[in-house]
Amino acid sequence: MMSGKMIGSRDVIGEEGASVCRLQLFDGPLELSWHHCATTSDFISDLCVLRVHLPFRQVRDIRHSVAYLTNELLENAVKFKSSGNVGVEAAISHGWFTIKTWNRMGAGSAVRLQSVLPELMAGDAADLLIERIERNAHSGGTESGLGLLTLMSDYGVRLAWTFEAVDRSEEVCLETFAALPIETADMTNARSHI
Amino acid sequence: MEVKTNDFHAWSEGTEIHLEGTMRLAGTEAYAPIYALMIDVLDRAPPSVTMNLSNLEYLNSSGINMIAKFTIEIRKRENVHLIIKGSDQIPWQKKSLRNLKKLLPELDFLIE
Repeated sequence: MMSGKMIGSRDVIGEEGASVCRLQLFDGPLELSWHHCATTSDFISDLCVLRVHLPFRQVRDIRHSVAYLTNELLENAVKFKSSGNVGVEAAISHGWFTIKTWNRMGAGSAVRLQSVLPELMAGDAADLLIERIERNAHSGGTESGLGLLTLMSDYGVRLAWTFEAVDRSEEVCLETFAALPIETADMTNARSHI
Repeated sequence: MEVKTNDFHAWSEGTEIHLEGTMRLAGTEAYAPIYALMIDVLDRAPPSVTMNLSNLEYLNSSGINMIAKFTIEIRKRENVHLIIKGSDQIPWQKKSLRNLKKLLPELDFLIE
């Protein structure tokens, strides 16, 4: 089943319109799109920490973690999209930084992704990360899944994906959801939208 | 050998490999020139290699995979000791460098 499929932690999928810093990265040459991933993730992380009133060290860590997560999801979206723009929506709420990215991808690529994702979610992320690194190094294979495993293992990120068929096309709309735990003890607003 | 852009600088001095700046390159192929620089140091068959990451502020997952692959390559060569210099002021290093110890338990960290 291609359309209407969900993989991952269901509770990571937020309510419609519950956040929002919403941006779109326009379609363009890969090199430019890659640069946009970096600048967009830096921009979102800078906005995010404006709402955080904590000691410098914690602010620095949050800025880094938000930029890292955002950049990894955007890089994946740019790398695997078939056409069109990439969207991103982010918020801070109740001790979590939440982010959603969306992009179109070919139906065949979506089927492959749907077979890979359950493997990444099936065990302990730290063990799976080491296992995949070893496997890639020995087979000379691609680094498929290592970014997602790093997010889960090293950053405690929770992930989910939805796949929806796009009308009258061979494409699928992929939405990727992620939630990153962050320190919010002294935040000015417990439900701050960035 | 060195690779230098507006965002990062990679070079070697003797048996010490320096990676500095922000590295967010697009996958294994994009990192290939930097990996080649690292392997070049290893090919001189030194008793130890130092990877100096003290000023590497940011490394994406493709870059982390590159240094993991290099760590495994050192393990394969045997008789080469790996030293990693890092900084506890750089968040990604605190979170991800420990994974390298699982790949090569004999490596030494010098964290400042």
